[in-house]
Amino acid sequence: MDPAQSAPPPEHTEVPPEYPGFVDISVRLTGFDEFELRGTGMVRLYHDTTVEQVGTQAVSRFIDDLNAAGGDPDGLVDETSRDIARAITHLWYLGVWPQLSRSVHAALGRERANVAFVVSPESYTEGLAWRTFDAHPPGAKAPGHGSWSEPPAGAPAPGALRQTEDAA
Amino acid sequence: MSTAPRPATDRYDVIVAGAGLAGSLVAKQLGDQGWRVLVLEAGTRTLDTWPGTLDAMNTYYAALAKVPNAPYRPNAAAPSPDVIDVQGLPEGGFRSNGYFVQNGALPYSSDYLRATGGSALHWMGLVPRMQPEDFTVRSAYGYGRDWPIGYADLESHYRTAERMMGAAGDAAEQAEAAGTPYPTGYVYPMHPVPPTYLDRVLAARLDGKPVREAPGAEETVLRVVTTPAARNSTPNEQYDAGRGHRPDGAAGLPNYGERCVGNSSCVPICPVQAKYNPLKTQTTWSHRVTLVTHAVVSRVLANGNGHVYGVEYQQYDDPAAPVHTTRTAEADIVVLAAHSIENARLLLASGLANSSDQVGRNLMDHPTLLTWGLLDHPVGPFRGPGSTSGMENFRTGPARRDRAPFRIEIANWGWTWSAGSPGSDVARLLGMGGGSAQPRGKGLFGPRLREELGRHVGRQFTLQFAMEQDAESRNRVTLDPAHRDRLGNLRPVITYDLSDRVKRGIAAAKDVSDQIFGLIGAEDHTSYAPGPFSAGWFRFEGRDFVFQGAGHGAGTHVMGDDPATSVVDQWQRTWDHPTLYAVGCGSMPSMGTANPSLTMAAMTLRSCEQIHRDLTELHRPRTLRSAPALQVAVAIPQQEGQS
Repeated sequence: MDPAQSAPPPEHTEVPPEYPGFVDISVRLTGFDEFELRGTGMVRLYHDTTVEQVGTQAVSRFIDDLNAAGGDPDGLVDETSRDIARAITHLWYLGVWPQLSRSVHAALGRERANVAFVVSPESYTEGLAWRTFDAHPPGAKAPGHGSWSEPPAGAPAPGALRQTEDAA
Repeated sequence: MSTAPRPATDRYDVIVAGAGLAGSLVAKQLGDQGWRVLVLEAGTRTLDTWPGTLDAMNTYYAALAKVPNAPYRPNAAAPSPDVIDVQGLPEGGFRSNGYFVQNGALPYSSDYLRATGGSALHWMGLVPRMQPEDFTVRSAYGYGRDWPIGYADLESHYRTAERMMGAAGDAAEQAEAAGTPYPTGYVYPMHPVPPTYLDRVLAARLDGKPVREAPGAEETVLRVVTTPAARNSTPNEQYDAGRGHRPDGAAGLPNYGERCVGNSSCVPICPVQAKYNPLKTQTTWSHRVTLVTHAVVSRVLANGNGHVYGVEYQQYDDPAAPVHTTRTAEADIVVLAAHSIENARLLLASGLANSSDQVGRNLMDHPTLLTWGLLDHPVGPFRGPGSTSGMENFRTGPARRDRAPFRIEIANWGWTWSAGSPGSDVARLLGMGGGSAQPRGKGLFGPRLREELGRHVGRQFTLQFAMEQDAESRNRVTLDPAHRDRLGNLRPVITYDLSDRVKRGIAAAKDVSDQIFGLIGAEDHTSYAPGPFSAGWFRFEGRDFVFQGAGHGAGTHVMGDDPATSVVDQWQRTWDHPTLYAVGCGSMPSMGTANPSLTMAAMTLRSCEQIHRDLTELHRPRTLRSAPALQVAVAIPQQEGQS
């Protein structure tokens, strides 16, 4: 499933970036670009977690299904592939591998408990969910004293708040 | 602080059971006055080193449920209750696992932490003072219990506590909005923590707006005001007659910490220790204070006359596989400072201090109603402290005769407490909101997911309505020989319910919330239905509600002016045993609507003065040459024969 693993890189050429296929898929699933995803340092861990959790066969089918859908996750019809898409996205957004749907868990014949877990301490602090509303993961990446008083992106400036209300 | 090897039986001036907020203050004050203090802590002390703090951070990051105890490692020798021990059932009712055994109509859903630093490692850090009327609820409003002391008795101790804990606040604003009396010209050690953007939005829409909790009720004009917090902000140069204030940094890493930088994780752990925790006080303990951790006090020792002379404790090495050695330590004064429920448990297990039959009774908390919604534009949730402002309108007044008063906190972490955001939002948008057994929705992916999640969570806010709970003897901690922990100690059996006056307060709070939501133009997403995360569900007068625990356990060794009806006197000294003190929120006869840690600290500092007087008295030369023999005999307290 992974070009970087399927063939050893020829000598004396530039080593390709890790897991380009997984990153491409992750970009489509998350809505974050390659630069942002690689910046988390989580690509390798999430790739390995996915393979470990559902197995290479299911991952291969998922990639085939996604290619068949033109690379658009909305076009995934097979419920197993769709649940893998949900799980990888959940992983990127929260750092948590989720419970699979019970039927998918059974269909895959997974020989492990169907439980949610935080993949690593760093995966929590690198969760993408916080970035979608211009915040930071609680307990990490503190934005500085008093920064919380300022408006987030897309919000009116504090000075305008009272006037807006008075006008309204 | 010293950790020198000890002889088989230790002899001290004072033994303190518990190295949390109250115990750390007792050891600080008495050690500084020259007394030899032994502090016995049931839990571990990993947190007072910097690597220990980093380990706790990683444990927190890796925890699936980021509850208050998440950063702190489990300890089988000194187990702690956890908020996720209590689960709601599909049709209402609840199930409780873990350390507590619960048999009440409603769950006691609060936790605490048994480790050095105690529950104040994961507190929010809000330090409003109680109001003067809060001390006289029985005489003024006809419910609960009066204190034997009043606000004036505690005022100077409030100021000392605010200095020792490093409080940031605006005294003038508190005085105006909450009616809190301060000495003329008083300022807090630090300027208020800057209010969140959400606070400013709500202030713009609510300040000056009248609301009534019911048609025909008295009108009150809303005002959003900052809440005092023991959190490093900007020092106030006017403090202490112009001497200013130097904030305390982090324990374990000096010159680190300083001001709050907005980690947004006050509960369960402040990574930079801008928030006060008792470890900071412990770093300033005198060398006369000896801290022994992994030491579970199992029994308070008294002789046949009821004279308390020491404690028995169980020392263990490995918190995962506890095997213990039983030791004893002796002292002139024993101070229990192990949390209200643990203090009651120890007194009951020791068969002491209970001639009034009040030990373990009057268990109180601040039952909290959450309401949550969306505003019309981003409000910046999950940035900065969990709460920096509130509304003080409903903390007292005539309505208090009929219903519990409440304090309104503006909660800045979206729907994290009310609905598990943002994890629950991610799951819902991915079509997985119903859990693993339910059929899943198609789900959103890519830019649509990113935009929808941001648009939704970015507008989230929650209001927290913290009710005063009246002291009721039926709400109680008992012991049952059938329920023991790994070291054989009896586990707390909790019987808990809410009175109708608390439920009326909750109903009034919901009505006030509805008006506030109308005034701010919020989309209300509040819903109260039974379910796994709604253990506190109940129906009252045809309406559904869910309440949460606030972690403010109190009342279990209640203070009073009559030995027949209370456990401790105004100094938190047990009536039955003059050399045994039980300090902490357990002594509170009523809680008002203020977060209780500051008041607990003030009460404890006041008690330290009496403990010092007691010790001085006990250490006086016995033979006074000029005094007649009979008078000497009268002057010597009964317990002196033991010292």
